[in-house]
Amino acid sequence: MELKGYLKKYFNFDEFRPGQQEAVESIIGNQHTIAMLPTGTGKSLCYQLPGYMSEGPVLIVSPLLSLMQDQVEQMMAMGEKRVVALNSFLTPPQKAKALENLHHYKFIFISPEMLGMESVIDRIKGLSVSLFAVDEAHCISQWGYDFRPDYLKLGEIRRKIGEPLTLALTATATNEVRRDIADKLLLEKWNEIVFSVDRPAISLALEKVSHFQEKQQRTMQLVRFLKGPGIIYFSSKKVAEQTSAYLREHGISKVMAYHGGLDSESRILIQQQFINGQLDVVCATSAFGMGINKENVRYVIHFHMPMQIESYLQEIGRAARDGGDSVAILIYSPGDEQLAFQLAEAELPDEFQIERLFTFLIENNVVYQDITRLEEELAMFCGFTDIQWRIVENYLSNLESVDYNQDKRSLLHLLDNRLKVKQSKIKQMLEWIHSQECKRAVILRTFNEKLEDRPENCCSYCGIEMEDFKETDASSDERPIGVDWKQDLASILLLSERI
Amino acid sequence: MAITFLQAVVLHIFKKINGERTIYSLYHLFQGKRSSQTIQDAHLYQLTPYFHTYPSVTREKLEKMVDRLIKDGLAAEIAESKVILTDKGIETLDGQLAEHPLPVFLNGWKYHQITDSFWERLTLLIQVSSNLIHRERRFIPVRNKRETLNWVKQFIREQGEDRYHLAERLYLELVTALDNENTMPELIVVRLSGFKKIGLTTMQAAEITGLDPARYHFEYLNCLHALFDRILEDPARYPLLNGLIKQPERKVPLTLSTEKTYKLFQKGYSIEEIAAARNLKGSTIEDHIVEIVLSMKGFKIDSFVPPEKEERILQAAKKNSAKKLKQIKERVDDASYFEIRLVLAKYGDAEWN
Repeated sequence: MELKGYLKKYFNFDEFRPGQQEAVESIIGNQHTIAMLPTGTGKSLCYQLPGYMSEGPVLIVSPLLSLMQDQVEQMMAMGEKRVVALNSFLTPPQKAKALENLHHYKFIFISPEMLGMESVIDRIKGLSVSLFAVDEAHCISQWGYDFRPDYLKLGEIRRKIGEPLTLALTATATNEVRRDIADKLLLEKWNEIVFSVDRPAISLALEKVSHFQEKQQRTMQLVRFLKGPGIIYFSSKKVAEQTSAYLREHGISKVMAYHGGLDSESRILIQQQFINGQLDVVCATSAFGMGINKENVRYVIHFHMPMQIESYLQEIGRAARDGGDSVAILIYSPGDEQLAFQLAEAELPDEFQIERLFTFLIENNVVYQDITRLEEELAMFCGFTDIQWRIVENYLSNLESVDYNQDKRSLLHLLDNRLKVKQSKIKQMLEWIHSQECKRAVILRTFNEKLEDRPENCCSYCGIEMEDFKETDASSDERPIGVDWKQDLASILLLSERI
Repeated sequence: MAITFLQAVVLHIFKKINGERTIYSLYHLFQGKRSSQTIQDAHLYQLTPYFHTYPSVTREKLEKMVDRLIKDGLAAEIAESKVILTDKGIETLDGQLAEHPLPVFLNGWKYHQITDSFWERLTLLIQVSSNLIHRERRFIPVRNKRETLNWVKQFIREQGEDRYHLAERLYLELVTALDNENTMPELIVVRLSGFKKIGLTTMQAAEITGLDPARYHFEYLNCLHALFDRILEDPARYPLLNGLIKQPERKVPLTLSTEKTYKLFQKGYSIEEIAAARNLKGSTIEDHIVEIVLSMKGFKIDSFVPPEKEERILQAAKKNSAKKLKQIKERVDDASYFEIRLVLAKYGDAEWN
């Protein structure tokens, strides 16, 4: 059967999206592959289809629990039952059961920390993995914007499980990062499938306002004007909530805020309401959108500037998945970068916290293998946030022997480097905001690309016809719910001919 | 003056506690803290309906709320962190309750262990049934706990019935069991998801029904607890809904430490022996015994209090509308505080006033 035949058989699609076919061909040709495909092109198909075409399970390493959960659910919703997620969501008995039954699964999603455990590696060794897929592979590189120290172990793990055929997937990685990926995964020869980060269907707009209130007003204007659905991204949960309330107070009813502070029921419901068209706008933090398949998002507004161009691309990439014209608008007001710098600093433990940490370790003569057990105590004593703690824990638990002074120095050095990388990323984003040339060309240059075909509504520098993104349909109001609960219940549980 | 629903609840509880406990006892009550103290207080002050009914409350929020009540002259601080209602507070509360009575079916103590899991199972079962009758297999479940997903799958299989009958039965049971003029079933129904329809979040549901979020939350619980009352009164009439109620893993909801004491007691050890064996104070073991009495109906206390003394304590308690242990002790001076607490625990709310 031809490749497209398999595509039809397993996914019921007639055509591949850009890059998918090349990536799949490279893998079934038995070559290690680094694939850089723009967001929204269905990267998961690149390991699913080869998985179906070969014997043995596919092991997928994924850094974000929520993303993993989404992918598993989507595959299950598509009717694939042989899929499992191994991560810290599992209770010990669930984990034991999953490990015991591991040979029944075709697609095994796993978090890097779980994959670091010897017992898990031993179990996987016996499975003859057909494909080792590393999702969000840029996390392996210190030059990447989202470096995750536990990804560094993947090369060694890969060797331990018998150097299976490997696919590294990413949406955004510069040349430097791609080289680093191959290096850290211990790939000797590999094939690169690199597609442009450009999304011609998305127009790039930058607007400057002078202060916060004006930004909120402008956001409201845009939401009223633009054809939805749309997503508005914020760096702050609080401002996301505030703006969502502000929009609702002004008569834009189908808006909700989405962020990590909500309970899990609300998060699922809001996400599904948006996908189902019950909401027009979501005021979200970056927690929203990963793994969401919604084809017809027409605009993405950035209320706060992202921390780096890579996340900007990820986030605007949630628009125009159906290929229809869409617009991304970043609204900047002077001083916005301060929030970004603050967030970058807050993510990493500071010098004072590290001093306290080592004071504690020295006084109590703690060996690093024990620090996971001391999480609560140390987090309290040093004031670590979850993210800060994970960085520290990861660093220390990977050290072989204990030399407190030396280890403190090297940890501080590492943190200092991370902060500098983050700060330079923010500066790069800021340069893009202030650049006086084609916005699209600047982004492409960052990824060593040249702009070949300029789309008609390219960017705010080249000129955008905003009328093209205007809402033209008058919105129809549906029957108000809650008027007759018995009828509402009947419409859910009874077929219409029986009501 | 107008007060919010939550303020009314808080005033109502402070009125019952009457300055004998700190405001943090309310925090533990809302949180449903499983400590002997909280559990005994809930019974002593007849606040069991509110046990574990508002776990999202924080100490800070509570302190702020109390400050507000004091500023508005509705409550007064009589000792550190202890407040009573002022005359104005009592009047305002009565006025508010005349207009908006407190939820009558609320029963946190009885239902707190089953409420959340019931809701998770119910919402998922409805969504799955609705999609099944529309022959839609591709949908994202509104619940993501593997445990709940597996449970509902198994549950549907066990019914051994075709999808149309299952959905119809579920509808009939719900429409009957929810129909209650003293609750607002629409608060539940707007949150349900089905085929091509996603239910509302608590916040949206509060907004659309015009209730403030705290009131919405309590009315929603009230509705569910009324539903539990109905189901448990006549389980045979509501086989599906009854099946969704999780059998508590521990029949006796005891705190862990109390459980250990209970096991030793069952083996015939005395309080002193248990205290020695567990390296705890005797008074701690006494707390455990009181908790056991509160949690287990029919637990005999004769080995601790002679029946004749029990009767005298009970009579003294009935005469005293206030339930201060001290006042009872003044009337029955040969009784220990432990004995008094045991008797109060045994008779709980029912025969109280």
